[in-house]
Amino acid sequence: MFVADLVRHISLPLQVDFVRVQSYGNNTKTSGVATIGTDCKIDLKDKHVIVVEDIIDTGITLAKLVNHLESKGATSVSVCVLLDKVFRRVVPLKLSGSGKCYVGFECPDYFVVGYGMDFAERFRSLPCIGVLKPEVYQQ
Amino acid sequence: MKMEDDMLESVLWMAHEIQARVAELGRAISNDFDGRSFVVLGVATGAFMFVADLVRHISLPLQVDFVRVQSYGNNTKTSGVATIGTDCKIDLKDKHVIVVEDIIDTGITLAKLVNHLESKGATSVSVCVLLDKVFRRVVPLKLSGSGKCYVGFECPDYFVVGYGMDFAERFRSLPCIGVLKPEVYQQ
Repeated sequence: MFVADLVRHISLPLQVDFVRVQSYGNNTKTSGVATIGTDCKIDLKDKHVIVVEDIIDTGITLAKLVNHLESKGATSVSVCVLLDKVFRRVVPLKLSGSGKCYVGFECPDYFVVGYGMDFAERFRSLPCIGVLKPEVYQQ
Repeated sequence: MKMEDDMLESVLWMAHEIQARVAELGRAISNDFDGRSFVVLGVATGAFMFVADLVRHISLPLQVDFVRVQSYGNNTKTSGVATIGTDCKIDLKDKHVIVVEDIIDTGITLAKLVNHLESKGATSVSVCVLLDKVFRRVVPLKLSGSGKCYVGFECPDYFVVGYGMDFAERFRSLPCIGVLKPEVYQQ
């Protein structure tokens, strides 16, 4: 959702692709282990890459992804994240080359859903971002 | 205004026309699927923008996932061979699935995908496609179970870009849908 809206506000020509990275499973806390599940289709060699993430939590997943993109020969790796849970950072935000960092909002330490973000694959289609009632987690 | 606009020979649907039609499709799906849980399965990468807008117009709870299916390569005509590259993460067994596609051309890719989803045990498979190139259909549109079909616009036989759809991975971010100037293909 974030990518779809963001790119419509970028006036320059660009290419778009997606990677799948798994870390949460069906829980509300990151497992600490990040696996790059589905790689991107575009050849990133000698390209400037802007990684677009919904949320940065510990930073473990993102650090692994940036390393992976560097290994693919990207000229630079920038990051554009909608929500930044600054207080939960374990691994500092790492960019590459002339990479820049763009943050939408600082996010308090709640598990949030909506605008693409899920709890157990639900709630992604909400146009807003919010916190679930505790009883939803018991279901 | 986007730099890529200069490379379009004509605009077939403007952003506001697309948004209005997407809203209608979302309302139709909301009416038809009330009371059922379902999965919106987008076909990456082309349907990413359509899925993002469509789900915001569906008033029911839903799950979202994507599959990657390759057929075009870097050409403007379908190769006729469809491979399901990346499977979806959600278990589709006993679920109602709505496949969301940017465009249907020959129907080969979609038929293969619907068969694949049936084999995964989906209760029904519906299709919601933004553009339908009816005149190029080789394989009839096939649904599954109580599956329904939703079409945004009938599309004339041009190669179109924009609103998620690409030529060689470019032009996906245009908010409109249009036809490229012929010289762009020579680049």
